[in-house]
Amino acid sequence: MKEILKLGFILFLITAVSAGLLGFANEMTKEPIAKQVQQTKEEAMKQTLPEADKYEGVEVDLPEESSILEVNAGYKGDTLEGFAVKVAPKGFGGAIEIMVGVSKDGILQGVKILSHSETPGLGANAESPAFTSQYEGKSGQLKVVKTTPGAEDEIQAITGATITSKAVTTGINEVLNLIEHRVDTDNNEIIFDFN
Amino acid sequence: MKKIIERLTNGIIVENPTFVQVIGMCPTLAVTTGAENGIGMGLATTAVLVGSNLFISLLRKFIPSKIRIPAYVVIIASLVTLIEFTLKAYVPGLYSQLGLFIPLIVVNCIILARAEAYASKNKLLPSIMDGLGMGLGFTLALTTIGAVREILGAGKIFGVQVLPSSYQPALIMILAPGAFFTLGILMAILNHVRSKKMKKA
Repeated sequence: MKEILKLGFILFLITAVSAGLLGFANEMTKEPIAKQVQQTKEEAMKQTLPEADKYEGVEVDLPEESSILEVNAGYKGDTLEGFAVKVAPKGFGGAIEIMVGVSKDGILQGVKILSHSETPGLGANAESPAFTSQYEGKSGQLKVVKTTPGAEDEIQAITGATITSKAVTTGINEVLNLIEHRVDTDNNEIIFDFN
Repeated sequence: MKKIIERLTNGIIVENPTFVQVIGMCPTLAVTTGAENGIGMGLATTAVLVGSNLFISLLRKFIPSKIRIPAYVVIIASLVTLIEFTLKAYVPGLYSQLGLFIPLIVVNCIILARAEAYASKNKLLPSIMDGLGMGLGFTLALTTIGAVREILGAGKIFGVQVLPSSYQPALIMILAPGAFFTLGILMAILNHVRSKKMKKA
């Protein structure tokens, strides 16, 4: 009995010290981590919508089934330039978070994969600029092809990763559809209309 | 000094965790799709290994042997979490590269194996060196496997194209089966070399 108590006490001591240390470290790093997350997001917006120099979150009541996570409006001075939209379509290994920059007239400015859990060496290649740069300058609704794209609305799939390519394109199409058909940007004002 | 070098060569060559002890197979097979991933996982594991050997060697007289395993697990998991917090907060570039591997390190049995087999019975400095040697041995093995798979499976090494573009990459090498092929063949080669040496001696 005495031994059990002693062992229990030592184990308790080790776990208590560890827990204390972890709590302290968590408290210390909370703020820098939040700052890093914000900074990463801002960098992603800057990369995908380089025209703008100021970004503001926009409140949007999105339909339930939408994979769009957040909409940010990008301004240059006071003029609305376009939108940086975070979307998370379902890929092969889970949700793929993508930042999509679209000008206010619905033309894709830039695409950046923020996080994914696709197969390394295959779907993970979606991160490469060789794939994402295909989207730049495109508009309307896009589709994925396995050969060299012939038409303006075609995106070439990554070898061995058709599901990932299609998922990314689906997410981007959703953003394009939102900006083109659901947003009224006349007079620098943003009005969302889902009817 | 002799002891230090002995520990390092022991970890890197004589008792290489991957090719000789054949432990820590899960990360070995899972993350070695490229040479860069191999280095990343290897170095992150080395950092944890050095740290856990250090603490366990320091506490070896304090921790009763009956509860040593839960105590080691708590120490290792706390250490990994601390490293994760620190990287996330201050070196986000490195974290985004290694983020995936860090939680995997907790369950890497090399770390528990070294705590149990070496650090719990030896003095501080040799224990640290043992961790460093084992970690570097693991890094070397992972990088080699990663490089082979990357060259055959993508025609690249460290992301740089090395094979002519006329080479059609063997995709299977960067998929799961390729990990088993590469590990098996590399182990066979090493065993062959070793048995030849033994015969000569």
